[in-house]
Amino acid sequence: MPTTRPTPSTEAPARRGHPHFRLRVGFVLIAMVLSVFAGRLVQLQGIDPKAYAEMAAAEGMVEVVLPAERGAIVDRNGEPLAESADGLMVVADPALVNTDEEGQEVDRAPEVAKFLSNKLDVDYFTLLQRLRTESRFQYVARGVPAARATKVVDRADELGFDGLSTRRDPVREYPAGDVAANLVGFLGTPLADGTPQPLAGFERTFDALLSGTDGSARYSVAAGNKIPLGENTVVEARDGHDLTLTIDRELQWYAQRVVRQTVQQARGDSGLAVVMDSRTGEVLALADHPTFDANAPLASDEADLGSRAMSDVYEPGSVSKVLTLAGLLDAGKVTPRTRLTVPGSLARQDRTIGDWFPHDTIRLTLAGVLAKSSNIGTVLASDKFEDGQMRRYLAAFGLGSATGAGVRGESAGILPDPSVWTSQTQDRIAFGQSVSVNALQMAAAVNAVANDGVRIDPSLVRGSATTDSGEQVGTDQATTRQVISADAARKTALMMERVVDPEAGVAPGAQIPGYRVAGKTGTAQRASSDCGCYDGTFTVSFAGFAPADDPRFTVYVVVQNPRNGGGGGSVAGPAFAKITGYALRRYAVPPTGTPASDLPVEW
Amino acid sequence: MSSLYSTQGTARSRVPRIAGAAVERARLSVVPVARTRAAKVPFVSLVTVLLLGGVVGLLLFNTSMQQSAFAATSLEQRATVLSARQEALATKLERLRDPQEIARRAQRMGLVVPAAPLFLDLADGSVSGDPAGATLGARLPLDPLPPARPSELDPPATVVTPPEGVLADPRGDGRDGAGGSKNKQEKKAEKKAERKAEKKAEKKAQKKAERKAEKKRG
Repeated sequence: MPTTRPTPSTEAPARRGHPHFRLRVGFVLIAMVLSVFAGRLVQLQGIDPKAYAEMAAAEGMVEVVLPAERGAIVDRNGEPLAESADGLMVVADPALVNTDEEGQEVDRAPEVAKFLSNKLDVDYFTLLQRLRTESRFQYVARGVPAARATKVVDRADELGFDGLSTRRDPVREYPAGDVAANLVGFLGTPLADGTPQPLAGFERTFDALLSGTDGSARYSVAAGNKIPLGENTVVEARDGHDLTLTIDRELQWYAQRVVRQTVQQARGDSGLAVVMDSRTGEVLALADHPTFDANAPLASDEADLGSRAMSDVYEPGSVSKVLTLAGLLDAGKVTPRTRLTVPGSLARQDRTIGDWFPHDTIRLTLAGVLAKSSNIGTVLASDKFEDGQMRRYLAAFGLGSATGAGVRGESAGILPDPSVWTSQTQDRIAFGQSVSVNALQMAAAVNAVANDGVRIDPSLVRGSATTDSGEQVGTDQATTRQVISADAARKTALMMERVVDPEAGVAPGAQIPGYRVAGKTGTAQRASSDCGCYDGTFTVSFAGFAPADDPRFTVYVVVQNPRNGGGGGSVAGPAFAKITGYALRRYAVPPTGTPASDLPVEW
Repeated sequence: MSSLYSTQGTARSRVPRIAGAAVERARLSVVPVARTRAAKVPFVSLVTVLLLGGVVGLLLFNTSMQQSAFAATSLEQRATVLSARQEALATKLERLRDPQEIARRAQRMGLVVPAAPLFLDLADGSVSGDPAGATLGARLPLDPLPPARPSELDPPATVVTPPEGVLADPRGDGRDGAGGSKNKQEKKAEKKAERKAEKKAEKKAQKKAERKAEKKRG
């Protein structure tokens, strides 16, 4: 009980004489103190009780993020094309780095920078500059494998370097480097909180599927240890789902190396190869050159980061003759033995059509027209089409509409509209000019011939997955349609076999020893967007399938602008043979052992 | 009150003697509490033991829980370290399984990719396929070509013809003849240097050529 202190002892009688006065003073004092308490109580409980409750709860509480692992991108056999690993970033506190044990300021930056640049492969001078910056936080290295980062920081501690620590920084690994990089894409440097930044390819298209949801754990901690029976809430992380592609990593790798070799030998601009499973339409390889290393995408030209096979359209040239003649066969207008008299040049309405090889009037069968790749013969044959029939066939083969395989920035190509479809256009389209395609479209169209006339949507994703634009893609979504009769397809294949015949055809280089091969070369003039004309450069290609009488693989190789003067047969043909031979061996497809096609090419 | 007792006392005295025993028997009296003196010590010690046991047990239990919390923390840390190591090793393994790496090692051992496969039927021992194709293989270039050097790095060699008489020709006595041969040599050297530059030869080679040219000139 607070009381006024009696000052002089002489007043003792007076004190005894005024108890009321003392009580009052005491009550007032108590009331004042209690009012302060009451005011504080109202302030704490009445105004913002939650914030204080949280502050109280946070005392000794630790909240950690339970990182969700991003799903892997794997090939058809489960081999990883992209996978996540626990990584750490090494960060430095320059203020601590440059302070010695006694708290004096020293310049330790050089020795720390030397140590770190040796251990973590970072640039010494950049690091030195960062460690001398007036700040409390500087990145030293991002995305370091956890084991390595911990080791380096521990070693730094032993050496007496302060101010280094690690933080979570997930790493995305692309174990096969540039294999399928054009499809898989890559991630950018993650944000400071570890959120990945998908920048290209499937990483971006299927980000919703791949990325998981981080969880969190909240528990009370004392001296670094979880307090048993203390508050403890855990929200489990939900890992991302894996994305399985139809790509075969080994085959993809081989196709990429062969395409690179082919492009470099031909001194071309770019090249690509598509390998499809003829029966299912699954794309086993889609190789692009130039490509990039997904582990270091910034080292490559930005133009090489996408998939040219999907985004670039070009005029397919003579490979398209396969589609024209297959349509004619299906319509019952011709047979492989239909006799055609092919003049040296053919004057049509607006221009003269010539062949790639000079000749006088020759007598070719339809098979010969394909084997010798005669433009004039094809135009003469395509005259037998009824109005609009050819366009219907080409559209049914999938020309002019995107394949929907799930690749970003796919171009649909151009199949002229019926309103601008003139007889001149038809002449040119018959041998593959004035129509443009992307490589996968063309491969799928040729595959329809290989697959008994049934076109299957090509797919790159196994099962089903939703793209970022909400489309469902994948093998489960692939539809089929009968484009030409099985009989017409078989006859077309027999004609295509004559193309690789050393005597009858133009592409003996595409032969695979022991196997029956059906194929077609293409050497097309390239349209330049700069001048809106053909600029004198070429697109050379080879499309085909093997074994010809029981197709298992459809392979399409394209090289843009070869400068060695080669054509489809000499440049793309050998690459086709290499890739197809590899696929046949890898999937253990034995030769069918049947005699090769011997359709007459001349009469 | 005291007066009432006295009247009762007198009344009782008047009651016939015959009922006296019954009255005496029926009279209630307070029975003295049977104080069985239970032993206090065992109870107190029981409670004490229980209490002490509880407290000590709780303490031990708590300690052991703390102990296991420490163990859990250190085990968790170990698990993190081990999983990081496992991941590092898995990454290393993946690097080794990279088709490029396998191909590189295979090529080092002299293996090539055959043009076509050959099949051996285990049932009847027959071979199908073309043996020529199976033996026909070519080395596949595994690495990209090195990037072309920019032409700025390989400029054509500059050859300066010294004015007549600046360089004394120690061997030449016939001036005209020596001059003529010099020019020829110069041209030759120039051509050589240019050719080398076009071929993007190493700078060393170029220097050598220049040195050679100078030597010839000198």
